[in-house]
This record gives sequence, C-alpha cells and structure tokens, in this order.
Amino acid sequence: MVKDNKGKITYIQNQKEDLAIFRITPEGGVPDYKAGQFLTLGMPVEAEGGKMIRRGYSIASHPENKKYFEFVIRWVRKPYPGRLTTELFDAKVGDDVSWIRPTGHMTINDELPNGEPDRRRIVCIGGGTGIAPFVSMVQHLHAVGDKREIVLLHGASYVDELSYKELLTNLENESLDRGADKWNFKYRAAISRPQEWFNRSWTGQVGRVEQFLRAKPGEQSPLEDLVGEKLTKDNTMFYICGWQGTIDGTMDYLQGRDFVTQRHPREDGSYEVKYESYG
Amino acid sequence: MGLAKKINIKSDEEFCAKILESDKKIRFVGLTNGKSELLASVNRKDVDSLLTPKEIGMSIHYTLERWRKAQNFGFRFGKEKFSLTEYENVTLITIPVGSMLLLISTDSQIKYDKIVDSVTSLALEIRLDNLIAKTQLLEQRV
Repeated sequence: MVKDNKGKITYIQNQKEDLAIFRITPEGGVPDYKAGQFLTLGMPVEAEGGKMIRRGYSIASHPENKKYFEFVIRWVRKPYPGRLTTELFDAKVGDDVSWIRPTGHMTINDELPNGEPDRRRIVCIGGGTGIAPFVSMVQHLHAVGDKREIVLLHGASYVDELSYKELLTNLENESLDRGADKWNFKYRAAISRPQEWFNRSWTGQVGRVEQFLRAKPGEQSPLEDLVGEKLTKDNTMFYICGWQGTIDGTMDYLQGRDFVTQRHPREDGSYEVKYESYG
Repeated sequence: MGLAKKINIKSDEEFCAKILESDKKIRFVGLTNGKSELLASVNRKDVDSLLTPKEIGMSIHYTLERWRKAQNFGFRFGKEKFSLTEYENVTLITIPVGSMLLLISTDSQIKYDKIVDSVTSLALEIRLDNLIAKTQLLEQRV
C-alpha cells in the first residue's frame, strides 16, 4: 500500500514558460535519501474529477539539505500536456502536494564490487532537466568533502535552459580557488542549436551533449582534453540522465570502448555506466 | 498522378521562387526548418528588405517560437494551417509545410485568403511532385 506524505510548495522560480524550479517542504522534515534518487509527487487533478495523479521527478537538492526537496521540471505539452506537470505549473506557493518516499538506483557508487573504495573520476552527462540528479550528486559530494574528480556535462537547446549554471560555475570556481586536491569539479555545457539567433552569445561546446565524447580523427575528445587523459573503464565512471536519445548517443560511444552498464554488468559485478532515461 | 512531369522542382530555392512567382504582391519567400536555419529564400527584385540580416535571424526566431507555442494547443485545435500578421508596411504569412515553415511577406493590405489558398495549393502540389520525382528517381536506381 502506497503511503502518501504531505508537503507544501514553498518556492517557484520560472526560468521559462515551460521550465521551472520547485521547492517542496515536507511535513515532518526531509527524510534520508541518496543523491540522485527521485521522489514521487502527487496532486488531485480537477479535470479528472479530483483523481490523484502521481509522477516521479528527480530530486535536484542534496540529502544534506534538510529544509526542502528541490526539482527542476519541464512542462512537456506535446502531443499532450503532462497530467501532473500541468497541475504543478498551475500551482501556487502554499499549495499542498503529496509525496512518496525517495527511491531510485541512479546513486553514486562509493565502492567497487570487490569492496575497495571507488576512486575513479565521475562523469555526469545530463540532457535538459536530466541535470537534476547530478545537481543533487555534486552538492552532496561537495558537502561530504569527496576528493574524486567530478565532471558535469549539461546539454540544452537554448542558453536559457542551462538550469543551475550559476551554482555549477561557482562550484567550479571554488575548485580552482581551493585546488583540485581539496575539491575537484568541472562543469561544461553544450548548446544543440548554436545557429539560432537566441543563442548568438554562445561560445562553448555546440551540438548534443554527447559531442563531448566524440573525437576528430587523430585527436582527443573535448572531454579527454578537459580531463587530460584517455578515458577508460578503469579511470572513469559514467552517469547519464536524459531523453533516450542522450542515453543512446552516449552509449554508442562507450560501448565501443569496453564500458558496460549497471543493467548488463560483467560476471564479477563490475560496470562503468549508470543511466536513467525519462522518455 | 502526372504532377511529376508538370512541375519539376529540384531545390528549395526553386520551390521558393515558384511561390514568389505565383502572386505579384509577394515580396519575400523563405523556407526554414525547426532549427531556425533558412534553407532557401528569394526576394522580389523591385523591393529592398525591411530587415537587416541580423534582424532576419531574430524574426525567424520569433516566428518559430510562436509556431512552437501554437502547437501546444494542437491536441485541442488540430494542426495549424497558416498564420498571418498584418503590419502597416507589410503582411507576414507563415504556412507549415511538413516539418518546415514557409515564410512569406507581402505588400500590405492584400486579400490574404486568395494568396494563402494559392500558395497552399502550390506548396502541396510542388511537395507532392517533388516526392513523386524522388520516388521515381529511387525506383530508377533500383
């Protein structure tokens, strides 16, 4: 039996008409959970006779934040508007929301299958709102003082869809200020429609986010340039979240290089890719 | 289906030119995809563009943004057939053609329904013709 808990919307920040950050403050406090997990939210939908509709959304806030859950949510309207997401975008601060405890497997691996600490570099690849679990992970790793190298790659169509750009840029600047031995974080973004007038100020990576992994003949990929070495299953663990196209595009590159996924691990239980698709 | 023999359009540029020729009041015809790329465009010879190249980019962006938003009601209203904005100096008409958008500007104060009807028919005819021509070409190769 599903147990619905109570919460209230306590903050809404509209980035665009169809992209917003929501904070939900649970009654009784934020429970323990792992960075990268999702929360199932529920609201009664008036257009459906008050029926409770539930959907899972990746949590963007980190487990150490005991004040609220945060989410970055896209209001998808084609071919049909999302049933719960439409309610969320119509909601106001103070409105009630129900929630079911956090769950999900997209969490950070701290140990290898043999029990040794996993010290490999962490590369997170998020398409659109697929950045949410990684914002949670990065803030968590920062909060606990993790020393691993972390690279966060975000892909979006337009520059105003780079949610959390300021937070992530500040975290990278902190890494530069304190030194990589204390906090080792890099953030890069790719814009897939650089030719559009609205993106005319963009000077960073262009194309889909998986372009960071693609190398020109005889050259290293932009990601390898960034980390300064060839990526192997022994030095890098990948986490991917986004539309199926983002997952497929990334796996297309990784599968040819002996990387295997959590869903199809080796006999010894090892793998180097965790992914979650939302489409 | 003998259209392939009647109209043989080889390029998007030619497609736009055919539309331009179809009515003397048309000033400009362009074809853009969903990524704001202007695939082809033609201007009437006796008119100067009212927009700079940068402003054309901005105008296409606004047009596509409006088109995308209009599609959000597609599940209620059905597919958009055309849209029209009449300014003091010019009238802008956009007509979806498959996954692309036909951009047309005309002199102001036109009988737009006549232009829209003829352009829509022509666009459909040319696209059908093109499809048939491509199919025939493929069949010949096989």
